Amino acid sequence: MTPQQIEAYVDAAAAALGLPLAAEHRPGVLHYFGLAASLADLVNGLALTAADEPAGAFAPIAAQDVPLREGALE
Amino acid sequence: MAAAVRRGKCSAAALVEASLARIAATEPRVNAFTDVTAARALDCAATLDERLAVRDTTAQALPLLGVPFAVKNLFDVAGLTTLAGSRIERGKPPARRDGPLIARLQAAGAVLVGALNMDEYAYGFTTENTHEGATHNPHDLTRIAGGSSGGSAAAVAAGQVPVTLGSDTNGSIRVPSSLCGTFGLKPTYGRLPRNGTYPFVASLDHLGPFARSALDLALVYDAIQGHDAHDPACVSRPDDRTADALALGMGGLRIATLDGYFADNAGPEARAAVSRVAQALGATRIVALPEVERARAAAFIISNAEGGSLHLPDLRTRAADFEPLSRDRFLAGALLPAAWVQQAQRVRRWFALGAAELFRDVDVLLAPATPCVAPAIGTEWLDINGRRLPARPSLGLLTQPISCIGLPVCAVPVWGCHASLPIGVQVIAAPWREDLVLRVAYRLQSMGVAAAPVAELQ
Repeated sequence: MTPQQIEAYVDAAAAALGLPLAAEHRPGVLHYFGLAASLADLVNGLALTAADEPAGAFAPIAAQDVPLREGALE
Repeated sequence: MAAAVRRGKCSAAALVEASLARIAATEPRVNAFTDVTAARALDCAATLDERLAVRDTTAQALPLLGVPFAVKNLFDVAGLTTLAGSRIERGKPPARRDGPLIARLQAAGAVLVGALNMDEYAYGFTTENTHEGATHNPHDLTRIAGGSSGGSAAAVAAGQVPVTLGSDTNGSIRVPSSLCGTFGLKPTYGRLPRNGTYPFVASLDHLGPFARSALDLALVYDAIQGHDAHDPACVSRPDDRTADALALGMGGLRIATLDGYFADNAGPEARAAVSRVAQALGATRIVALPEVERARAAAFIISNAEGGSLHLPDLRTRAADFEPLSRDRFLAGALLPAAWVQQAQRVRRWFALGAAELFRDVDVLLAPATPCVAPAIGTEWLDINGRRLPARPSLGLLTQPISCIGLPVCAVPVWGCHASLPIGVQVIAAPWREDLVLRVAYRLQSMGVAAAPVAELQ
């Protein structure tokens, strides 16, 4: 992403999330978003297929598997 | 220590009083503790001593009888507010009960003496906490202790307590262990329950112990194992008792050194420490994992996004109250596109499959824990092999790819590669083989290659 694309994205995404960026925080946010973007280029550069599933599979929860609220037996 | 109490050579109260005295004497220079629970500790020790006085055989058999310990202040401690290094959590109600790992240590006879400093919300590798002040490295007070569990490592290195608990998402046990010269265990992801602690990145958070010996680490680890359904990532597996198996030796263990990324991002002292460990173990084989840099990037993206998302409500309303050193990273993380995060989770699994292939014909991998020894407090830039890198994130370059795929690691402290400071080596095994990393750590300590002396604090 170019610096201009980063600025445009950060401002639009912050507005969409209702996340106000104070003037004194914005330069740091742009810097760290740029760092994340450069690392995202690495992540996106690995050739994966549709069969490459994400880490972390959801485990369904049956009624008997619901943990007691912590401290419920106190 | 526990044996001395068991044999009546000293009381639990004496151990706790010695720990409290050492904390009082050294804390002004080290700044490891944010709370000292002296009254609770003395009460707990007195109860143990009363049980021993009436020859309570259950008490006599406790593996950690009278051993003082402390925890990173993201662990729930009954009666204390769980700060997680923040100003924002101050004033919130105190925890109603101890987190499960504290309860398990106490059930094993250990005595909690306090809570320890950390990077705010665990997002950092230096424990330069703006609210509490930096934790100082006991081996050189002008230098950082590492982080984010900096108080946990410094308290052990300063001789304030023999064991502590911390957390590790991207290196937060292994980095401070390396810089403070302690042993540290990051178990397999999913081994220990994390409920009763303040989370950072649910996909990557681990808990684990610090100690001055591999045996103490194993005794603590054995005492805190066990499934808890309140942590959805905690896997139900049989406990794996490690302390009794430490002396099994190296017979048949296939040990190799990780090359490539792990050598490229390590300075000369870090590489020398790995060479020394490999030589001592007779490990001549060199291997490489594929696409390590992308795996590290995946862990970074996942951490940034999950951390930012977790704190989004406070970031919206009170961003100025966050730690200045990490606030802008949290804000940026809250804005990352979903496609990056999803791709990072796919890269993570791809990398885990590659590592599993490597573990078909190797049992233990060696890698440096940090690129360099502890930098001075306030350091902004590191020079690693001619490259100028931002200091704070780069301290985790070598730990981050390993925790990305949840492998168990023992950080072992090596001396003599720098004029006066330690540096750690990661001893890494396949998932669920904490027994192997502890066995190798024990062997290295027995050979005098790894050691965790108490700092002189001069």
